[in-house]
Amino acid sequence: MAKSNLFVNGSEGDKAIVLGNEAIARGALEAGIGYASMYPGTPASEIIAVLDKNKKCIENLYTEFSLNEHISLHGAIGASWSGIRSLCAMKNVGLNVASEPAQFLAYTGVKAGLVLAIGSDPGAPSSSNEQDDRWYSLHTYMPIMEPSNIQEAKDFTKDAFDVSEEFSFGIVLMAPSRLCHNAGVLRFGDIRDRKNIKGNFKKDPENYLNLFSLAVKNHAKYLERNELLKKYLIESKFNKIINEGQSKIGFISSGVIYAHLMEAFDILGVYDHKILKLGFSFPISNELIKRFFEGLEKVVVVEEAEGFLEFQIKKIAYETGFKGNIYGKEFFSKTGEITLDDVIFGVSRFLEKPLPASFDFASKKYKELSDKLPQRSGTFCIGCPHRATFYSILKAVGFSNTEEKERDVVIAGDIGCYTLGLLPPYNAMDFLTCMNAGLSIGQAISNFDKNKKVIALVGDSTFYHSGIPVLLNAVQNGADILYIILDNSWTAMTGHQKTPSTQKDIDGKPSANVLNLKDLVKSLGVSYVKSLDPNSVKRFSAQIKSALKEPGVKVLIAKRECILQEIRRNKSLFKNDAKVAETGESLYEIQKSRCVKCSECFVELACPAIILKKDEDNGGDYYYIDPASCVKCGVCYEICPNSAIRKVEFDLKSEFKLKKGLPEAIV
Amino acid sequence: MKKFNIAIVGLGGQGIITMGTVMKNAALNSDLQDVSGSERRGGAQREGYVETFVKYIFYENAAEMNNPRKNMHSPMIESGGANALISLEPLETLRGIKYLNKNSIVIFNKTPYIPISVRMGKTKYPEISFIVSELQKVTKHIYYYDIDAISLEEFNSLTQKNIIALGILFAKADIPIERSAVESVLAEGKGAENNLKAFALGLNL
Repeated sequence: MAKSNLFVNGSEGDKAIVLGNEAIARGALEAGIGYASMYPGTPASEIIAVLDKNKKCIENLYTEFSLNEHISLHGAIGASWSGIRSLCAMKNVGLNVASEPAQFLAYTGVKAGLVLAIGSDPGAPSSSNEQDDRWYSLHTYMPIMEPSNIQEAKDFTKDAFDVSEEFSFGIVLMAPSRLCHNAGVLRFGDIRDRKNIKGNFKKDPENYLNLFSLAVKNHAKYLERNELLKKYLIESKFNKIINEGQSKIGFISSGVIYAHLMEAFDILGVYDHKILKLGFSFPISNELIKRFFEGLEKVVVVEEAEGFLEFQIKKIAYETGFKGNIYGKEFFSKTGEITLDDVIFGVSRFLEKPLPASFDFASKKYKELSDKLPQRSGTFCIGCPHRATFYSILKAVGFSNTEEKERDVVIAGDIGCYTLGLLPPYNAMDFLTCMNAGLSIGQAISNFDKNKKVIALVGDSTFYHSGIPVLLNAVQNGADILYIILDNSWTAMTGHQKTPSTQKDIDGKPSANVLNLKDLVKSLGVSYVKSLDPNSVKRFSAQIKSALKEPGVKVLIAKRECILQEIRRNKSLFKNDAKVAETGESLYEIQKSRCVKCSECFVELACPAIILKKDEDNGGDYYYIDPASCVKCGVCYEICPNSAIRKVEFDLKSEFKLKKGLPEAIV
Repeated sequence: MKKFNIAIVGLGGQGIITMGTVMKNAALNSDLQDVSGSERRGGAQREGYVETFVKYIFYENAAEMNNPRKNMHSPMIESGGANALISLEPLETLRGIKYLNKNSIVIFNKTPYIPISVRMGKTKYPEISFIVSELQKVTKHIYYYDIDAISLEEFNSLTQKNIIALGILFAKADIPIERSAVESVLAEGKGAENNLKAFALGLNL
């Protein structure tokens, strides 16, 4: 957001360009929340990050980056029961972790409004699955709202708190990554007065105690509340029937896919069919659908994933005696993201309407070309300590990226920035599922395949999220495994939220309660634990080698801060302290005469700062460290087998003068 | 209703998202106007493919703006739907070809960033001449520069290349928002002096 304080101070009549996630946060702010929490996860992270960043200028707001989603949702429930409107956010798979509190929320109900904003990730650009969390509501009974654009993201969130209080449900606000990361115009509303946000927990055993017959009673209560909500949704402003013309064809859609659908109609020049926009995709009222069905012969449900709406609509069609046909997944894929193009294709096929010429030409042209283009995958940032960690692991187990041989060590992957180590050139993971699957699956593999050593990886944030019981379990059950904790002090991939490992904030301020990870691991009963700098690759690699020879649970902590955070902090210190600017700098360069292009730095380490340059003299190529992108981590310098990389120390100040070409006397 | 779609593509870390944000913020002055467009972030990290869309929507009147059949827009651009494509990496320009039609303006940076697959010798990086000839099969309006070199030469840094590219966009395409609006967004942002200089530099290329 450009004028960032509009987020805090904006009122009716103001508008700004905001991100979908920020719009959700703003909606919650307008509704008067006093509590906001999450365990960070793309695509949802900015929802709480923007509140956390601005909390100093917002009266009576508590924010928390919780250690995991289970804790985070429980926190929101506690706040709600204390009379505080609360917002909890998470990514789609987060609900698996928070499914237990979610399951109980319908039983107990809420006091002040509670909204659970979930960022789903169809196409899985930043997730390990495509899970559609809407299915959870078939048993959690949490109502689901699906905004279609940025304005609705804000407006729906704001309204969700009222609905939550009226029907005593926690409301799920679903936003796929396309909406979370859509930036566009938001028109603000007024913010509720924040002076009187004050907690007051009142005992309510009838609702809050769940066991035996009390639980059965509460079960009946939420089924009743669900029926009341259905009735409310017949006439509510959230579900809209758009009815023009005499067409016997109807379209049902929700969320961002509805936005795609409306644009697809415009592109295809189709304006005459009946449309149902579902703002609430659960529960759905039979009466509403019956009204929509009137006069229709064919209905098509346009949605992502495996057909949550279609499933409900078909059930309602059966119950209401609809005689027409209902379509859905025959025209829209169950897997991957449903893009605007996919909706255009599906609608054109369903209506047997030809595609516009330029659309048809462009999509064919792209198809023809795309297979021929080299694939591009993300990699670690230049200077990232994870790159050094993977290099060290692969060297320790005698593996090279360029040789076609099987690794005989099993490497268990996990979730975080270091997950990118599964991509080429490292290919350094043998399985990857959910958070903290690495050590537990790895423990069993090491138990049953005695011929292979197992290395399990985990990041600091992931370890704190739910890894502690997993490690304790390995110790208690006498596992034989090497566990490497890649401790970069931040939840880096989601935009650098703090973890218990964070030593210093970005402005240089030391954190209040820094945890000693090594001591923690020791206290869990691990006797073999060492903390090392992964950028000292030779030492680290040797340590991995010797740890693999030891029996039992071994823990190595690869401790080095995320390079992005280190650079950011240094930059701000640099700005404030002229003296730092005067100190010497170092530069790494490859000496052409000594380099034999052995590929150790270029392919094995594969640092993107090392590039191939055309040799003007002989037309060949040579390796070159691009000084504009190198961050001087020195790893390539350490690994070069021919000592072709040299370190040049120089004085920044004199270099500056040199560049300007001015003799010192004149300056 | 009139629409104007800009697709911006390149790699994580090149400032693609910033370009989208600047272009969107430059279009907040009219009431009969909507701006939208999604970004790809997250797992792309460094060197991964990143794209952002800027979609300007201009309504004829308030009735149109309130018509539910007219006022809902996808955050994406459809195949063949971009009025302009800016790419900060040559190979990625070819991936962005899906958004082009015969009237689209293409602006691309010809400094290649070699993907890992090429680094490992598994695939070949296409020649610039191939990239240009493929683009020419769709549109004749193609402009390319070594924007990395220009940025390095002027600013001794690559940071300004995205804003230089925005300047080029305004020089070559008929953008339905005012240059001055972009300049005032840049003037309010971080590194204003260099960014304004970079924008002017692009305008004169």
